[in-house]
Amino acid sequence: MKKEMYDLAAWAIKVAKSAGADDCRASINRRRFVDISYRERKPENIKEASTRGLSIEIFVNGRYSGQSSSDLRQDALKDFISNAVSTTKLLAKDPFRTLPDPKYYKGRADMDLGQVDPDYKNLTPEARHKTVKAIEDSCLSKGGDKVISVTARAYDSYLEEAVLSSNGFEGYQEATVYFTTGQMTAQDEGDRRPMGFDYAVSMRRKGLPPPEKIGAGAAKRTLALLGGKKLKTETIPIIIENRNVSRILGGFLQAMFGRNIQQKQSFLADKKGQKIASKHFTIIDDPFVKAGLGSRLYDNDGFATKKRVMVDKGVLNEFFVDWYYSRKLGWEPTTGSPSNLIIPPGKRSVKEIMKDLGRGIVITGFMGGNSNSTTGDASVGIIGHLFEEGKLVQAVAEMNIAGNHLQFWNNLVEVANDPWTYSEWRTPSLVFKDVVVSGV
Amino acid sequence: MKIITRRTFLKTTGKAAIAAATVPGLPWGWYNLARAEQPAYFEAEFGITDKLCQKVLAAALSKGGDFADLYFEHTIRNWVLLEDGIVNRAYSDVVLGVGIRTVKGDQVGYGFTQELAEKPMLNAASIAATIAEAKAKKPAGKLMPMKLKNYYPLKKLLTSVPLESRLPLVQSVNDKCFSLSPLVAKVSAGFHDEQKRILVVTSDGAKAEDLLPKTYLYASVVAEKNGKRERAGWNFGGRREFSYYTKALRDELATIAVNRAVILFDAVQPPAGEMPVVLGPGVTAVLLHEAIGHGMEADFNRKKISTYATMIGKKVAEPFVTIIDDGTNPNMLGSLNVDDEGTPGQRTVLVDNGILTSYMHDKISAKHYKVKPTGNGRRQSYQHYVQPRMRNTYMEAGPAAPEDVIKSVKKGIYVQDVSNGQVKIGEGDFAFYVSQGKMVENGKLTAPIKDINIMGNGPKMLQNTTMLANDLKMNQGGAGYCGKGGQAVPCGFGMPTALVKSMTVGGVRARGGRG
Repeated sequence: MKKEMYDLAAWAIKVAKSAGADDCRASINRRRFVDISYRERKPENIKEASTRGLSIEIFVNGRYSGQSSSDLRQDALKDFISNAVSTTKLLAKDPFRTLPDPKYYKGRADMDLGQVDPDYKNLTPEARHKTVKAIEDSCLSKGGDKVISVTARAYDSYLEEAVLSSNGFEGYQEATVYFTTGQMTAQDEGDRRPMGFDYAVSMRRKGLPPPEKIGAGAAKRTLALLGGKKLKTETIPIIIENRNVSRILGGFLQAMFGRNIQQKQSFLADKKGQKIASKHFTIIDDPFVKAGLGSRLYDNDGFATKKRVMVDKGVLNEFFVDWYYSRKLGWEPTTGSPSNLIIPPGKRSVKEIMKDLGRGIVITGFMGGNSNSTTGDASVGIIGHLFEEGKLVQAVAEMNIAGNHLQFWNNLVEVANDPWTYSEWRTPSLVFKDVVVSGV
Repeated sequence: MKIITRRTFLKTTGKAAIAAATVPGLPWGWYNLARAEQPAYFEAEFGITDKLCQKVLAAALSKGGDFADLYFEHTIRNWVLLEDGIVNRAYSDVVLGVGIRTVKGDQVGYGFTQELAEKPMLNAASIAATIAEAKAKKPAGKLMPMKLKNYYPLKKLLTSVPLESRLPLVQSVNDKCFSLSPLVAKVSAGFHDEQKRILVVTSDGAKAEDLLPKTYLYASVVAEKNGKRERAGWNFGGRREFSYYTKALRDELATIAVNRAVILFDAVQPPAGEMPVVLGPGVTAVLLHEAIGHGMEADFNRKKISTYATMIGKKVAEPFVTIIDDGTNPNMLGSLNVDDEGTPGQRTVLVDNGILTSYMHDKISAKHYKVKPTGNGRRQSYQHYVQPRMRNTYMEAGPAAPEDVIKSVKKGIYVQDVSNGQVKIGEGDFAFYVSQGKMVENGKLTAPIKDINIMGNGPKMLQNTTMLANDLKMNQGGAGYCGKGGQAVPCGFGMPTALVKSMTVGGVRARGGRG
């Protein structure tokens, strides 16, 4: 399909230019997916379909618009694009809105990112059902008499995208994605019915853990929630579990984006080159991770990607600045969004760290809350466990942590050795000292 | 409830290609679909005849099943956005397709296609049919169009309003914001409109068409004072026409947005711990929606995973508490003339004077509970399953005067607005971010508060609602979405002033001080 997709994108650009566009960027995408879930040992939902779409950005007389459509027939597209060009002319001029300087397209790495599973085409309906059944069986078995309900699900997809621009950009990416999950609800005291889940995402089927492990993980995580209660407000060390770090890190990252900096919505805007966190805090943006969920050879602007150390031992090195906001800021662009975000793992396991800390709270989930990119203030509900003498002693619910990012990351005292690999953000568990956890 | 920004939307659609198709042969842009309001729209525009529908329904039931349905959708969305003083970008998106569902008990087979032609539709139907494994079943021999009330009639189609008319709406909000305070440093503003046309055809012979408008105007303000910055915003909207956005409304929008940003310079973080919480009227109903409403959606109860699963007929609140979920409020964001599986719009009493009387049902759960569907079967688009979802959810007014509710609190907080809510259905536990509020000290509202979370438990909060005022206010926003099972649908809500006698407030300090 690659050539057909390129041909269609090239044709769309030609139509836009003949309708009066100065420049444009067109992308064509396709997706095929299958999604199956089971409950009570029978299929609950079976869904399967293909989608396709065109996105086009139009630059005309210093004006800009973006449109999307999925009718890829040329006669329909011709009117679609021509009218888009006419209406774009009605908007206000924006001197900063252009296609990127093509010099940033150059230097693209020549490598295979390993994002297509060669076995994808051999995946049968029977194999999919077998996977989901195994997740459900395992969860039911491990959940025992506490089980109220178990849902198991498997999703797989094949995606392609071809992008062309009128100033010489050309890019094609294809990928396979697999997702498996188990979800269990258990009977707790009274009317409380806690729900927990486990999941994994990978670009290779072999990259997923065995389905039995997902099912057992869902049961284990759910049973661990039983008896959850609110404790007294206390200043205490916390460990944020690897898979949940992204929730807190995401709030910090908002302040690193060019738009928020230019729009005066970033508490980090004037902190480049400064120490804003403890020495344990390093963030690397690495687009070249083999089969990484965020791996890419070019970014949304078409820039050739680079590995960047965004925060180095607590010092803020770089921002995520795309072409448009780099022009507004008068800065050199970097990249507009993260690829794979990596916090380099430490040496010790969570178990060893807990033993060493003695008493604290392990956070295994967040609830609601907010992170303010303008001020850095944040407040979020937590779910987890109190540990004493290194052992889990009490499930925790309905509690809250609050603070400011500029202070919070200075309290990072250790990074564990357990990076979460089923995400674009490969984060290990993080240990913070002196956090106010509020409850009763 | 979450506001979906265009940026998020583009990411979603771009990566997963969820967005659908354009209309063949129609002019693109700010569409002028002259025939959009006439009956049999899908037949006139796309050749969707009763005969074709029956053929596809027969294919969906080719392996049996209880019933099947077709959901045709044609949606046109536009955004015009302002940044740094100019309306400098516009986006459009067109969704066209049909979802085909086969239901057997509580099992669902689902296929969809973006091509409204016989072959791809039959192919999608054959995928849906795989959920059943019995003898073929015949759909009804004749389709009967449903007569529906219209809770959001349009005098003028959104698609017939030219781009030129939209630009001044946004520009005037920006200009007003800057005129209101020298502290205003940045304004972003935008106008969104969506015109959604649906046709639902069921294997029992029902056929329902609807035209759902949705618009909103928003402003987000960054203010600067003594080197500090604060940000806040507001929006007005619903199933509204262009004529709703008068100069007075636009000025009110700007005033609210600016005031909400500027007041934060004086805001403090309250002490952490348990305390009484007064919920102000209107938008705090997000709490009702998240912490209580979701638990009353029937699918969670049918699966016994909601904390309300065993509470029908039981007392869940004080006798002055009545909770409604309503599809019939004129021009409200969650109103529906018909739901997405062909049940007419209606009003459902969930809690009647303190007693839990009904869940919110789709057809699957209604059959399970042997009750009539309540018109809550909703889906994000033709690509999605039907789920029981809220429409406009509100607590009816109570007996107290609002000032008496505040007077009753010695030390606590008054919540004016919340966002980023999340609830755990099985436990009923929830957490919310308080974006605007005040301290309550000795029965009076004092310092504004900011950047805190409130946490609690839905059933407990309902039991602990000890005072309810007579000032029910329906929220007039248009940008809110509710997320569930990976699907976003617009919902409305309303709330009178209420006292919850105890809730966890998460500030930065331990109990004992503020400022």
